[in-house]
Amino acid sequence: MADQSAHPAKDPLARIAAPAITSADATPVRQRRAGAAARILSGPLPWLLPALGVLGLFYLYPIFEAVRLAFTDARLFDTETQLSMRSISSMVGSSTLGVILRNTLTYTVASVVGQIALGLAIALLVMRAERARLRGTLALRTIVLAAWVIPAIANGIIWQLLFSEAPFGAINSALRLMGVAPVAWLSDPSNAMTSAVIATIWQGTAYSMILLYAALKTIDPALYEAAAIDNARPWERFWFITLPHLRAALVVNAILILIMTLNMFDTILALTGGGPGRATEILSLYAYGTVFQNFELGRGAALSMLLLVISLGLTVVLIALLPRDRR
Amino acid sequence: MNITRPSLFAALMATALPSVVQAEDMITRNRVGPADAENALTFRLTAFDLYSADEATAEAFGELFTDFILDNPGWRIDTQLQTGAIAQEQARIIEQSRAGRGPDCAMIDSSQLATFKEAGLLAPMTPFFSDEEIDDLFPFVREGVTDENGDIVAWWWFTDLRVLYRDVTQVPDAPETWAEMQEAAQSVADTGLEGILFNAGRDEASAFDWLAHFWAQGGELVDEDGRPVFFEGDNREKFLRAVQVYADLVESGAAPARVTALASYDDLLASAAAGSTGMFIGGNWMYAQIQNTMPEDQAANWAVSALPGPSADERATGTGGWAIAALSDDPEKVEICAGIARLYAGPGNAFQRLLPTSAALYQEYEEFAGAEFEVFANALEDGQARPGVPIYPEISNQIQILLGNVLSGSATPEEALDAAAAEVMDAFERL
Repeated sequence: MADQSAHPAKDPLARIAAPAITSADATPVRQRRAGAAARILSGPLPWLLPALGVLGLFYLYPIFEAVRLAFTDARLFDTETQLSMRSISSMVGSSTLGVILRNTLTYTVASVVGQIALGLAIALLVMRAERARLRGTLALRTIVLAAWVIPAIANGIIWQLLFSEAPFGAINSALRLMGVAPVAWLSDPSNAMTSAVIATIWQGTAYSMILLYAALKTIDPALYEAAAIDNARPWERFWFITLPHLRAALVVNAILILIMTLNMFDTILALTGGGPGRATEILSLYAYGTVFQNFELGRGAALSMLLLVISLGLTVVLIALLPRDRR
Repeated sequence: MNITRPSLFAALMATALPSVVQAEDMITRNRVGPADAENALTFRLTAFDLYSADEATAEAFGELFTDFILDNPGWRIDTQLQTGAIAQEQARIIEQSRAGRGPDCAMIDSSQLATFKEAGLLAPMTPFFSDEEIDDLFPFVREGVTDENGDIVAWWWFTDLRVLYRDVTQVPDAPETWAEMQEAAQSVADTGLEGILFNAGRDEASAFDWLAHFWAQGGELVDEDGRPVFFEGDNREKFLRAVQVYADLVESGAAPARVTALASYDDLLASAAAGSTGMFIGGNWMYAQIQNTMPEDQAANWAVSALPGPSADERATGTGGWAIAALSDDPEKVEICAGIARLYAGPGNAFQRLLPTSAALYQEYEEFAGAEFEVFANALEDGQARPGVPIYPEISNQIQILLGNVLSGSATPEEALDAAAAEVMDAFERL
């Protein structure tokens, strides 16, 4: 009994010699453990584990790896890398970054606004046509969606053919037929960004249209009937009924399109390659070139982190615009 | 014994079918050779030969590979296709090889050879080529495939070069100097056509095509230590003079302003086929494309000549092409890889009429007897490969940006050169 009563704190050897718990104490501990395990098993965790595992492996780990690389001087053909702030400091100190960010801002804002506005317009048109029981709404939706399923790189090639400034270029030939002077769509730096935005809007509009069309379907028709009884004009119905009810859908749509547009580089890669000069070079394309042309893994990772921070920052701002009950 | 026709047919089928099936099985979408071969080599190749969309090419290479496997019993080649995103594919090979998951043998763009050599990934192939074969390589090729230890670490199996194409009905005589090129282009432009086209968009082709004008003056991009020097001293003057050649063509209207959006040889070919241009700067391989895609009488109007220089005696042309290299430590695999390289360099080139990298092969195959090959062979004497230094991709990138900015009027040549120099030196410091 003397051994069992020895205080472990006073006699370190007692910690080894004395059993931690007596058999009499063990039962409640086991019961507590069993209870905790049962609580865990009956909770959501077992159901979430597979998803958490997949997310961790395929999403969080690559992000972690990119963050790690951003703090190194890694190059693709170097076998040894060192922890370093050089990638980040060279990125921040680069005179090019300002031009790239300005291009990214112009391209993203114009593309996102354009996709939402055009998507909403087509969704309203389809709704209006459905209310009027006009034929062809399904065909219209399908045609718009067809643009969305085209790979972005193919989209860039298609628009490159359309914007071609050769004497046989499609759009310019049409303009000539109408007596309009041809436009330097891709070779003039001031037009090239507009051309890139048009190509992006053309492809992305379908996504907005589908999201907003679904949201429009949820608005109670009784509201419009009441407005009609009150002699509300079309723009008043749009402004006071449609827009407020679409607010959450518009914000979610904006967040998704914003992230997609910020990450979009393949359309521009095929359309202009970022040129003329750097006129259409956006952040994602710049990061792509840094890694796959210059093989600067660390710097490319730092640029990707910057892209991630911009995406997250703008997403937070947009989430703040969501109705309080939808956040 | 009475043999009926059906039974004879059955007997023939019974004997012939296995060999037919065997021949078909020898080449699949991811393998050459028997599936159960005891040795396997992975080969990363492009989609322009064995798996070409052109049936005749695929068939010809299929026969070459079948013969090769029959000559090397017990071996199987597991083929892996590279996509058209060349830079990305080459980067992937480096990354995979570093992780021990790369192919045993791979096609490498000659512009990336320096990067692979720098990474120390290439296995020496010297023992598998004779001294005569190595000595017969063009000097710029031999230099490109030799590492610092003097070992041959890749086999550059075909090369290409940039030349001037002209429609002889518009430009009867080949311009030999920049002034003659300007004059000829202007005379074509005065008729309402596009005088001359060249790539000046964001692509390596733009920089490489243009560099011939810089090299023709003896300009150097980097010094012996690989440090960029194109923006200083005599090189600066030569660089600005070469930029001015393009700028004068665009400013005068001899070349359209749309060249800043041209970044593909296909666009140039399309204009030639449409008859909307009098001249264009393209690759030697486009000669066969012109012959194959245009009606015979129209194709006959297109002639090829060396790129003009500041004077008729000062010429240069950029030479590219592809190499095959071994990335395995296993000597047997390296030997098989060298055999594949030899297959491409000889009969493979002859079939595709690509330019061999050694003089003897031009004599060995009658396919290289055409008059155009005489032009190409002469131009190759002024051939200049990309400098085998890690900073080259950034130099090329900055030249592309510079050309776009200058030709679109966004910057003067001097401003653009200063900006390019600053960017390149920043990148050089990070190496």
